[in-house]
Amino acid sequence: MKILELRNVNKIYDGSEVHVHAVNNISLDFEEGEFAAVVGPSGSGKTTLLNLIGGLDIPTSGTIIIDGTDLSLLKPSQLIDFRLRNIGFVFQSYNLIPVLTAKENVDFIMSLQKWPAEKRDARTMELLTAVGLAERVNSRPAKLSGGQQQRVAVARALASKPKFILADEPTANLDSKAAATLLEIMEKLNLEEKITFIFSTHDPRVVNMARRVITLLDGKVVSDEIRKKENKPA
Amino acid sequence: MVISAVTVGIISGVMIMGVMQGWIEQRMHDAIYNEVSHIQIHNKEYLGNEEPLFTVIRPEEVISSVEALPGVRAFVQRTKLTAMAATPWAATGLFIYGIDPEKEKSLSEIYKKIVPGAGEYIDKNKDGTILISDKTAEILKLKHYIITSGLFDRLGGRHIPYSVMEKLDSLKEVRFRSPKDFREALRSRLSKKELDKYGKILIDSALDYRIRSRIQITLTDSAGNPVQGTFRVCGIYKTTNTGYDQMSAFVNAGELASLCGTGKPMIHEIAVLLHNIEDAESVRRKLSSLPPGNVVSTWKDLAPDAAYMNDFMILYYFIIIGIIMFALAFGIINTMMMAILERTKELGMLMAIGMNRRKIFSMIMLETTFLTGVGAIAGMISGWLIVSMLGKTGIHFAGWGEGFEAIGFAAVVYPYITTEFFIFVILMVIATAVLSSVWPARKALKLNPVETLRTE
Repeated sequence: MKILELRNVNKIYDGSEVHVHAVNNISLDFEEGEFAAVVGPSGSGKTTLLNLIGGLDIPTSGTIIIDGTDLSLLKPSQLIDFRLRNIGFVFQSYNLIPVLTAKENVDFIMSLQKWPAEKRDARTMELLTAVGLAERVNSRPAKLSGGQQQRVAVARALASKPKFILADEPTANLDSKAAATLLEIMEKLNLEEKITFIFSTHDPRVVNMARRVITLLDGKVVSDEIRKKENKPA
Repeated sequence: MVISAVTVGIISGVMIMGVMQGWIEQRMHDAIYNEVSHIQIHNKEYLGNEEPLFTVIRPEEVISSVEALPGVRAFVQRTKLTAMAATPWAATGLFIYGIDPEKEKSLSEIYKKIVPGAGEYIDKNKDGTILISDKTAEILKLKHYIITSGLFDRLGGRHIPYSVMEKLDSLKEVRFRSPKDFREALRSRLSKKELDKYGKILIDSALDYRIRSRIQITLTDSAGNPVQGTFRVCGIYKTTNTGYDQMSAFVNAGELASLCGTGKPMIHEIAVLLHNIEDAESVRRKLSSLPPGNVVSTWKDLAPDAAYMNDFMILYYFIIIGIIMFALAFGIINTMMMAILERTKELGMLMAIGMNRRKIFSMIMLETTFLTGVGAIAGMISGWLIVSMLGKTGIHFAGWGEGFEAIGFAAVVYPYITTEFFIFVILMVIATAVLSSVWPARKALKLNPVETLRTE
């Protein structure tokens, strides 16, 4: 089932001195359950593309449709609410709230959606167990390793049962062991629960594991490779 | 940061207001209970020209009217004459009050203001005595500072080391007319440390009045003839108002009447103390039917400085609180702006994951208000404790005491704070916190999540 469509999407940064065509006429479709990596050199437009898909940035032209909803038709307040309910984000530097525990960081997303407390508790424990942190639910981010923090971030991204997860360089700040653990968890969630992941990455381990690899160069898609074979993380 | 800024701000505000209120209340109390009472009745002519003949017109009728008034706590009648007081060393002009000493106690607290060890309050049964002030004693050179052998014995060893006392040996039996001169003499003989440590006790202990000294009083009788009498100083009083003290001396009314040859005391002034200060104006209106030629004045007419301060107390409140709140608002805005800058990435993340603007705005507002609230509560409690403590011990403005007393303010102030003030401050702090948080909150709303997530 198609959950994301990009049609002739452009993003141009037109400053007084610089004119950057960050995303150049990109059209892509994503099906439910994909495990896709967007790759390319620095400045190729990976992060900009993810920001556009996530509704954090507005395309200069073109259309982005998520599960039948055209983002360009949403008012800013509607777009924020749409993000909350439909898109999960995993950031390169985790971006957990430092004063909240792992449990509270995950719970927070659901409380924004006004889920009842019992349902939130159950979901939080389910997710933290899924990412292997059932024993660290009451730890604050400062007490967790980078890999553990990123796993909390994945649990947080999954909390509101989004249509897909956007992960911007999720392994960039992790050592190889932590990165491997994280990727295993994400792949497992993808395969077993059909959760769609779209990564931007430089990390060959992520690329190896991805079943679809989209390569960008100067804002354009230069290749879109679908891999049928199921890969395992290195 | 916000909490400590608010706490310090509130403590400062409470302290300033406590001291101001303490001063104003003290000035009000002293003005009424030492100087003017709530109501005074005079002959209209007397107010413009203090001649002995301008006595209260038909005083019996006036007294009957006053006695019949509800809300009167006490009243007295006084003779009040301008006089020249002289000793062999100096002379000064003053008002001499002829009073009934015992009745006067029901209305005036002068009898409580006798300087310890400096005689006693005027006694109705002791003839020829006069009660003068510390200031008058100083002017008439009846006050001096002297280090006697007795003082050496009293202080040496126990309060002041013998080594220090020995340095003062050359000052023995030397009279100093003012504390300033005495202090200068001490300074020339003692080190700064010794002066700081023992100066006050030496000055206090060396103070001596020539009690029982004779003062010659010259005044005019009701016919305009000069008359003279001699009185012995029975005691020295000291209020917080040097100006009043300098101009006021008290004798038995009967003796003044004998001196002036009037047989019975002339009544120039009827002073009335009420149960409630608020009733002063209504009592004045009720006394409008007094025999013509008399005039009724309230404490506001007689002590306009105290009345002015009382009337403008609320304005002082607003000015002081306004300054504190202005500083508080700056502190809050500055700190919260810094907090937002430090948490740009966190706020960007919250926006990215779907926290709407209303919630971001509310979050910053709530945070600011909460921090301010905690600081305000801490400040109020601390301020209240400090003011309560100082309200018992008093704050001693020793260095400026003379200046303060010259304008009617005590050198020792007992700060206090009313409940109304506390409520007022709490409301103002909440209002300031809410208003001050709007700007940082609006600033947070303007953050662009894409840009903020890029920041390191």
